[in-house]
Amino acid sequence: MKLVGKNRILVVDDEVHVLITYRLILEQQGYDVTACTTAGEAIEIVERRSFDLVLCDYSLDEQHTGFEVILAARRRDPSVPAALLTGYATKETAEEAGRMNIAVMFKPIEIEEFLLNTSKMLRSGDEPRQETA
Amino acid sequence: MATAEIRVPTGRSNGKRAGAESHSGVLRLLDAERSEEIFPLLLEEIVALGYPRGLVAEVNFDTGDIAPTAALRWPKQTLAGFNTALWMSEHFLVSVLSTNQPVVLNKTDVHNRPIYIHPILFSSSQPCWEADRLRTGGCLAARNYRKQRRIRLEEQVCATCGMRAYAAAVVVEIPRRLTAQASAELRELIETANRLLSRLYKTEYYYNRMRDMEITIAQMGTVMQSMADPVILTDTQHRVMMQNKAAEHFFKAPDEMTEGLVRAVELNNLLFSATLSSMLVSDGDSHCDLTLVDVIEGEEMLFEAVSAPTFGPDGTQIGTVTVMHDVTELRATDQKLRANFEKLRDAEEMVRQDRDRLNLIIENVGDPIIVCDGDAKIVLVDPLAEELFGVSAGDRRSEVQSRNQTQLAAYVSSFTYSFAERETTPLKLFNPALRQEIEYDARAGKIFDERGQVSYSVTVLRDLTALRRVEQLKIERRMLEIEKFAATGRLAATIAHEVNNPMEAIKNAIYLLAGYIPEGAMPVYNILKSETERVARIVRQMLGLYRNTEQVKPVKVNTIIEDTLLLLNRQLQRANIEVKTDLGTLPDAVIAADQIRQVLSNLVINGKDAMPNGGKLMIRSRHVVGRDEVRGWVRILIADTGTGIPPEMLRTIFEPFVTTKGEKGTGLGLWIVKGIIQNHAGKISVKSKAGKGTVFKIDLPVVKL
Repeated sequence: MKLVGKNRILVVDDEVHVLITYRLILEQQGYDVTACTTAGEAIEIVERRSFDLVLCDYSLDEQHTGFEVILAARRRDPSVPAALLTGYATKETAEEAGRMNIAVMFKPIEIEEFLLNTSKMLRSGDEPRQETA
Repeated sequence: MATAEIRVPTGRSNGKRAGAESHSGVLRLLDAERSEEIFPLLLEEIVALGYPRGLVAEVNFDTGDIAPTAALRWPKQTLAGFNTALWMSEHFLVSVLSTNQPVVLNKTDVHNRPIYIHPILFSSSQPCWEADRLRTGGCLAARNYRKQRRIRLEEQVCATCGMRAYAAAVVVEIPRRLTAQASAELRELIETANRLLSRLYKTEYYYNRMRDMEITIAQMGTVMQSMADPVILTDTQHRVMMQNKAAEHFFKAPDEMTEGLVRAVELNNLLFSATLSSMLVSDGDSHCDLTLVDVIEGEEMLFEAVSAPTFGPDGTQIGTVTVMHDVTELRATDQKLRANFEKLRDAEEMVRQDRDRLNLIIENVGDPIIVCDGDAKIVLVDPLAEELFGVSAGDRRSEVQSRNQTQLAAYVSSFTYSFAERETTPLKLFNPALRQEIEYDARAGKIFDERGQVSYSVTVLRDLTALRRVEQLKIERRMLEIEKFAATGRLAATIAHEVNNPMEAIKNAIYLLAGYIPEGAMPVYNILKSETERVARIVRQMLGLYRNTEQVKPVKVNTIIEDTLLLLNRQLQRANIEVKTDLGTLPDAVIAADQIRQVLSNLVINGKDAMPNGGKLMIRSRHVVGRDEVRGWVRILIADTGTGIPPEMLRTIFEPFVTTKGEKGTGLGLWIVKGIIQNHAGKISVKSKAGKGTVFKIDLPVVKL
């Protein structure tokens, strides 16, 4: 599944500045980062291309959620690791994420922790269960 | 006395004096000592007068039979013909007796020779001395002497002395040659014999009466002596005429004469005499108490004397009989009874006073009180209870009161027959004065008797209106606080959420700039970095409360405490803080372990921060089970010896952005702690004294999944 070369990561966040900083930080680490701000755009992309990791804000534009994007990515590649980035998650959301093997990272995220989790998820692409700090 | 026996003629009847004058015959009759000697002598004298034979037939007044009792020279075979009875009126003997006149019969069925029959009857020309002295004039003998009409059997008893008369017929055979002189002499002889017989008869009667009386007197004496009570007969001058042994004990000087005994007897006599006099004066009252001295024992004895006058045959009082009854014991018992009665009355008075006091208390308690007996029947109510139930109002009880009473009766009987000794139950009653339903707390207790049976139950009704109002206010205030807390929380969360994304961008940007900062700008960059981290921390904490992502499960609280301390161990050691734990045996608590860990770590770090110069930190855990609770609570106490919380801050310490740490604190730690504890349906409270330290108390409910 993994191609030779850079790991491909999709980052989705409706906040442009946040999205840019994530992309820059991940690119600093040598990942191939694709960033987009809307759910529609992201779904379009995951339907066309495969990723090694999907990092997605929970609440997106026009009441869309990160689940939709991740589900779309999993339709193409059911085992792709994914994480929700959010400031707040209801119990139901957290439980649903757990059921779907989606990690949850709460903002504000310590950058070291963010990078550690990211590399962990990429390494264990087949073993989707991830623990957040 | 005459008997029915037929006398065999004695040797004196051999006719020696045949032909002697009547005088000598009369003289011989005078020799008779007894009445039964008269008839044989008479017959002998009759024969001596020249009459061939004779007999005497006597009337038995007991049976009415007439039979020969003496006969001389009379052929035995014809004697039977003279047996008859008074009611056989056709018999010649009966007709002679009833007419009381002598007759001559020339021919009879029973004798072949003419006979002369002379009736004799108890009679005397003069009344007897007894009748004479009593002036009754009713002497039977005198009456018989005067009377010429037919005698009747039932009349033949003397009205004066009660003596019964005798009657007989002298039958003499008339010889062929009878001189008139002999005839007169015969008549004279018989009459004389009758007069003698009357006298003897009377004398014998007196003798018999005397003997009867002696017997009676002896019997009476025995009775009197055998009486245990003293009996005394006194004359009209109060002189003792007769007394029984019991009386002698008191009134007669004993053989051994000592001065003391004599004085005692004299005193008794004096007392008795005085008593008799006083009874005589107080005319009619024949009862009197009398104290005498027991001559031997020397003790005083109390008697009740009863006196009765005694009368002679003529009806005049001849004396007084006094019977004395020993009532010493009786009076002593009586006095005891009286004393007991007095005691009882005193006790009753005390009880009454107690009751009055109790009633006063009951009336002033200010709550309705109902006292019921062991059968759940109302025995006492205070005026307030009366207002509610109208107990003493009888039939005028209103509908509302009846309804209240029904409820009360149901409650009281269920309590009385329950096993509970005391009980508190809510009771809704309609208050007629306030015209509304009032909630009461019925507090009831039982009073038991010695056998352990319920003798009374006491119910006090406590009006809960005021209490409920306060409780309502408390709830409202608490609701308000919770609402305020929640609102603040929501606001804080909203702000945090809005700040979160820009801050995330700033934070990431600072991170990206790390390699590009010139040496001189590094301090500024560092300020930017650390302050941003602080904001991130604040936001993280604010949002943390809403990240209810963790599943609750049964957890050992002691383990969480130990884990937390282990994690913070180095920090605490550095701060020179001595940690003591006192962990009790706890049931598992159903909690979110991470959240409780956060609570504990917040509180421990708070404690540490409050002790900048070191100190002691104490953590204690206990399982506490309060009344009316099944599983109770897990209680955690975290105490420090730090600076303490200023009193003015204590009230607001759990609100957000309140901190004692100045710039160092976020002011959110305790707010989050409280939020977590409340999410667990727990309680948290704080006690603090400036300069001494602070204690946080957390109670987490023990629940079962």
